[in-house]
Amino acid sequence: MTQTETLTSYLTFRLGDELFAANVSKVLEILEIPKITKVPRSPSYMRGVINLRGSVLPIIDTREKFGLPHTEDTISTCIIVMSVSMEGQDITIGALSDAVQEVMEIEENQVHPAPSIGSKYKSEFIDGMVKRDDQFIMLLNLDKVFSSNEATILQEIIQASENVEIKTLTKSKISLTEK
Amino acid sequence: MDNLHAIFMTEAGELMADLEKGLLQLEADPVNVEGIGKVFRSMHTLKGSASMFGFESVSTLTHQLETVYESIRNGSSKLTSKILQVTFESLDHLKKLLTDPQMKEGTLQQAQIDLLNRIEKLAIDTQPIQHSSSSNTSEVSPPLCCYYLLFSPQENILRNGTNTLYLVDDLLALGNGIALPHFKKLPTFDELRPQLNHTCFEILLETTKQESDMRDVLLFVETECELDIKAFPPGASLTEQVKQLAWRGHAIDMPQGFDAFSAMLSSGANPILKTGARTSKTPKETTEAQQTKASAGSSIRVSSDRLDELMNLVSELVTTQARLSLFSSQNQLNELSIISENIEKITRRLRDNAFTMTLIPIESLVVRFQRLVRDLSKELNKDIVFKTEGTETEIDKSIIEKLTDPLLHLLRNSLDHGIESPDERMNKGKPRQGTLLFKSYYSGGSVVIEISDDGAGINLEKVRLKAVSKGLISADESMSERELINLIFMPGFSTAEQVTGVSGRGVGMDVVRRNISDIRGDIEVTTKENKGSTFSIRLPLTLSIIDGLLVRIGETDFILPLSSVNKCYEVETTILEETFNQWVTLEGKRTPFIFLRKELRIINQTPDLSQVIKMEHEGHDVGLVVDKIIGQYQAVLKPLGNFYRHQEEYSGATILGDGSVALVLDPYKLIKKLIDQQQVNLKTA
Repeated sequence: MTQTETLTSYLTFRLGDELFAANVSKVLEILEIPKITKVPRSPSYMRGVINLRGSVLPIIDTREKFGLPHTEDTISTCIIVMSVSMEGQDITIGALSDAVQEVMEIEENQVHPAPSIGSKYKSEFIDGMVKRDDQFIMLLNLDKVFSSNEATILQEIIQASENVEIKTLTKSKISLTEK
Repeated sequence: MDNLHAIFMTEAGELMADLEKGLLQLEADPVNVEGIGKVFRSMHTLKGSASMFGFESVSTLTHQLETVYESIRNGSSKLTSKILQVTFESLDHLKKLLTDPQMKEGTLQQAQIDLLNRIEKLAIDTQPIQHSSSSNTSEVSPPLCCYYLLFSPQENILRNGTNTLYLVDDLLALGNGIALPHFKKLPTFDELRPQLNHTCFEILLETTKQESDMRDVLLFVETECELDIKAFPPGASLTEQVKQLAWRGHAIDMPQGFDAFSAMLSSGANPILKTGARTSKTPKETTEAQQTKASAGSSIRVSSDRLDELMNLVSELVTTQARLSLFSSQNQLNELSIISENIEKITRRLRDNAFTMTLIPIESLVVRFQRLVRDLSKELNKDIVFKTEGTETEIDKSIIEKLTDPLLHLLRNSLDHGIESPDERMNKGKPRQGTLLFKSYYSGGSVVIEISDDGAGINLEKVRLKAVSKGLISADESMSERELINLIFMPGFSTAEQVTGVSGRGVGMDVVRRNISDIRGDIEVTTKENKGSTFSIRLPLTLSIIDGLLVRIGETDFILPLSSVNKCYEVETTILEETFNQWVTLEGKRTPFIFLRKELRIINQTPDLSQVIKMEHEGHDVGLVVDKIIGQYQAVLKPLGNFYRHQEEYSGATILGDGSVALVLDPYKLIKKLIDQQQVNLKTA
């Protein structure tokens, strides 16, 4: 566990216009989308299962899970295979992402606290936020995000972070005009 | 060293299980001499290996116990229920000691001292009887008698670290005697192997002890030697002449036999060295020895890790073979399909073979249960007889491991809440003694375990009131009998008015159900007031590989376990769609059917012809409708994982020859789920 905390490399990926980051210690590999077998009667954010070298891997439609609008898969859509701990057990899952960006170093002092929003419960899905090139990247607490049964967990946070971005943008505009 | 330690732990576990079994038998039949001997031997072996591996605490306690049982064995004291009780407690304590031999935990140390004191007291209690009996016999004063012993250890006795010379010394210590070594069959020098034993001993012993005392010395090598004991007629004593034999080089050759010495002792005449006169072995002894040898050779101990690995490899082979079959059917090559078919046959046989290796009889659980019933019925002051049926039924070992806790819980429940106290039973006009029946049998592709009692049964009205008071249902909710019974599986439900140490914390039944469904099992309850309740658990035979029927609905492949499939019919889809209440006539019999396409919410064009797969659900025929039947398929079950654990209708998934994933349906659970949701009605309208 201590190793997980000291690793400062993060994989960033895109869902719609939002950027997210996952600690690389949790990420096992990145796959192209194979044939996904749907599991009837399961929650809508469960896309189905795939064969990952002989074992069955559940695929989570991350957009659906985060409450983002549905889009068709594109050529850059991929599966991030990661290991998350759920109820004390390490399990392997695949999370769909619109595109994988890069692996970057994020030092602890660069991390801003998550935007405070009405319910405290929701903010536990986000470890913090980092600003890069005028865009905020959300550092996900993968264990909490994927072990939650809730469907649209991040909707509020995403909205709140948009507000933060607008505010900072306006601030910088002001400073420009002042000059 | 760790390896040796592990061996000791398994051995100790087995010895304790033997001990427990023996003790339970003794309790039912306290004067069983053989039983006492068995218990004594288990204790002795346990003591020996415990001290060898430095489990001092274990060996001290066992030593004390052994002393008590020793006096019982030689008849100087009687086995009382008090002794048995202490032994049972000690056994439990010993089990704890195995995990914590240094007694780091304070309570354990206290328990050790406590038990040692109690056992010592028992030993003292048994003493007076011993004294009186020995004083009785001393009046009679046992006569000095002369015995002839032929002690011939087997060739490989030395391998276990047994020193035959010590045994001979022990025998001689019983009285006054001489031992004459002989060679049974001496190989030529080239073939002589120092690890093997070629010696046997003729012993002449003058003693006041009984024949049984001599056998006791050799008790632990009983199976590894032949022992022949003959008493000389009274009056015979070791003559000077015989004694000299031990000094002067007698012919170290064949044993001379009883008769030769008999003549010497009585008449004092010269020894007649009959080289060929070998004491004839009793044929019975020989066959017994052979039998033990044979049984040792017919089974070997394999670690369960290796079995698991074997099963994994077989699973991989099955998956790979499916790819080969697919490839061969796509490339119509004669030679290839012959090879592929052969491999399929061999794989199937290999699979079945490997599968049976992981099966163990349910019997292995039952000893623990007997013990539980015994202890609990004492604690609760109830008179309960525990009966078992069909315990030879075999089931996958990984299922057995996960089955213990739920079964223990169910038994505890039946003992505590089910069966009434003797007085209450008498008042109800039932026999004083309650019966708890543990039964298991095969049923189709599954194993059923039933636990039934003839107790009070479940009071449904009580269940209902309780559920209302706990807020699980509303007061005016109308529920069927079945639904009411199923309330007991709700979390936080417990009907016992008083929480006892045994059961009644209300955490039980929902956990039982969850544990059982974790191993793809299912639990049902039937109950009749004042007649008793029956809990029946239905379990799959195996968790890893099943024979399945590959079917297709839309574009999705599913596997149905072949064991549940009864017959398949082809029906025009329009007929099915136009029926009024989901009944179709198959072979002149009206059968309810389930449109899997509809229930699984698969939307696409329906084919003109549909396949109806007929199966049985709790005595009723049901048809499952699919688009297409592809064929038989060996499915290696892979778990779907935590994310799908609420989808109980799937037992897992499997990987098809083309690398895609097919879901394995559990028709029993699917149909049950649909019935519970009242989407299907199996009863004739």
